[in-house]
Amino acid sequence: MSDISSEALAAGRGEQNGKVQTSHHPKTDPKQDEKKGYYGIPPIKRAHWTWQIPVYFWLGGITAGVALFTAVSKLVGKEDPAVTRLGRYFAVVSMILSPVLLIWDLGRPERFLNMMRIWKLRSPMSNQSWSLVAYGNVSGILMLKQAAEDGLLGRGGIARLVARLVPHRVLQVLALPLALFIGSNTGTLLSATSVPIWARNWMLMGPTFLASGVSTGLSFISLVLNLLRTGRKDTHHTLQRAEKVMLLVESGLIAASLARMSRWGKPLVTGKIGALFVGGTLIGGIAAPLALLSGKETRNKSMLTSVLVLLGGLAFRFAVVLAGRKSADDPQAYFSFTRGENAPQPGDKI
Amino acid sequence: MATGFLTDTTVCIGCKACEVACKQWNQLPADGYNLTGASYDNTGHLSGTTWRHVAFIENPKKQRRLSGDVDLIALAEDVTETLPGNAELDGLGRWNFMSDVCKHCVEAPCQQACPTGAIIRNEFDNVYIQPDVCNGCGYCVPACPYGVITQVPNDGRAFKCTLCYDRQRDGLEPACAKACPTNSIMFGDVEDLKVIAAERVATLHAKGYDNAFVYGTPEVGGTGGIGGNHSKFILMDDPETYNLPRHPFMPQVKVKGAFVASSIAAAALTAVVALAFRD
Ligand code: SF4
Repeated sequence: MSDISSEALAAGRGEQNGKVQTSHHPKTDPKQDEKKGYYGIPPIKRAHWTWQIPVYFWLGGITAGVALFTAVSKLVGKEDPAVTRLGRYFAVVSMILSPVLLIWDLGRPERFLNMMRIWKLRSPMSNQSWSLVAYGNVSGILMLKQAAEDGLLGRGGIARLVARLVPHRVLQVLALPLALFIGSNTGTLLSATSVPIWARNWMLMGPTFLASGVSTGLSFISLVLNLLRTGRKDTHHTLQRAEKVMLLVESGLIAASLARMSRWGKPLVTGKIGALFVGGTLIGGIAAPLALLSGKETRNKSMLTSVLVLLGGLAFRFAVVLAGRKSADDPQAYFSFTRGENAPQPGDKI
Repeated sequence: MATGFLTDTTVCIGCKACEVACKQWNQLPADGYNLTGASYDNTGHLSGTTWRHVAFIENPKKQRRLSGDVDLIALAEDVTETLPGNAELDGLGRWNFMSDVCKHCVEAPCQQACPTGAIIRNEFDNVYIQPDVCNGCGYCVPACPYGVITQVPNDGRAFKCTLCYDRQRDGLEPACAKACPTNSIMFGDVEDLKVIAAERVATLHAKGYDNAFVYGTPEVGGTGGIGGNHSKFILMDDPETYNLPRHPFMPQVKVKGAFVASSIAAAALTAVVALAFRD
């Protein structure tokens, strides 16, 4: 008995500081000092999106870039047949792959046509479906003309009729805003959610995704032309010039986005996602290509640049989608976001 | 007529009758025997297969200062005067229970997000997912500001509280409200419930519980373009304690603004590419 101190005895009786503790709780509950929340359980649910969605975002961006370069080359009267041909065929390939990826992601893929039941302007998902349908049809018609010109439809009357009747100028111009919408809407789609990191940056999500999309699109054209050893010299030169400026614009928009995301942007720059974003996008996809573009133009260097930009764009989309997951899973991010006036409000000026 | 819930958490005893009644009536599958290990709550949160969820909040408001003899009967009888032996009423800590459910937003973000039109407002002005239309795109899930609507993995579609649409059509009240033994869950016309909520909060204030308030109004809980909720709650603590946002927002309020910003960016980028064609 003598080796037990009176303190230990008091503790055994539930006494602390001479007072009886009748509750089973410790004197100060550690939970109290923790930040607000409910056992750390996320108050919102994250999006289920797996790899198909970031890959679609990437593809949609490339599509916008390819369409932009093709249309502008026509508008300024410096059309390169190799670029036009690539643009028209690629648009159709992309408009086949994109719906496949999106339908794959559905919980009930066999009901994909239900997307066509209504059109809801306020739902970026609805706008996305309709813009894909519209752009898919326009590109399909344009591809028919290209196929007729390339002799893929035979030499008969139908081919000649198609080549003559398709109003390609009108369609090419019509296609441009649709493609640009597809490219930017991939970003808007993310921002119209309750996820802090995305919602906070609502204004720049579309523009940033579009700029990144155009830079990947330019790289894609350049890469294919180089691989096929085709395209005029001035086309290659123009592509490189445009790419340089586009990468600068993109980095500016990313910097502005990070500033806007402020504390809620943390998941994008920390941990594994941070490594992917900084290493894959900022260094690998922007800084390195810019360095490569500043020297003399060679075929190999140009191809390496294109591959880097394309991979950087893919990394960017994966990083942003994964960061959204982390942001949605963080109760403190959501609560701090919805406590004051940080979240977008209907009455906001901007 | 718009119908809704009023969940008065101050009388909830955490019996989970609502959770069970909801599962049974709506034939929702079990979620498995998972122990959270950190709390008395093993359900954790609402999901596509759990449309009512009782939160168990251990709420040691103040430091435990329990001295002298505590008159437990006086405690149980809700006596607010000073207790014998300087014991404090809050000394034992307080259990907060809260039966969470879909808020049935007046302007529902999930409905705005839904590209198929599967999510509608039915004749009772409740937010209802048509299960034969939903194609499981999952876009409503990150749109909901309260983490309510969820996809069910094996099914693929999104599910949430229907406010017992089927029972209401037959003139019955929802299963959870029917099962609630303390009338913590009240069902009725939202206008009537608003009055009941205001009266109850006034009563609580008169009893000295100044922290009681209604959650789900355009001022708190139904903010940012949501326009309030048809299922409201009477809470006694910060909304965050119940895992609820204080000032949620309608995620779609900026879709138009984002479109304008994107259009400007698109024009600027087109100009950039056009300039690159200069000789
Ligand atoms: S609480 Fe969520 S699921 Fe319920 S109506 Fe509002 S947005 Fe939809």
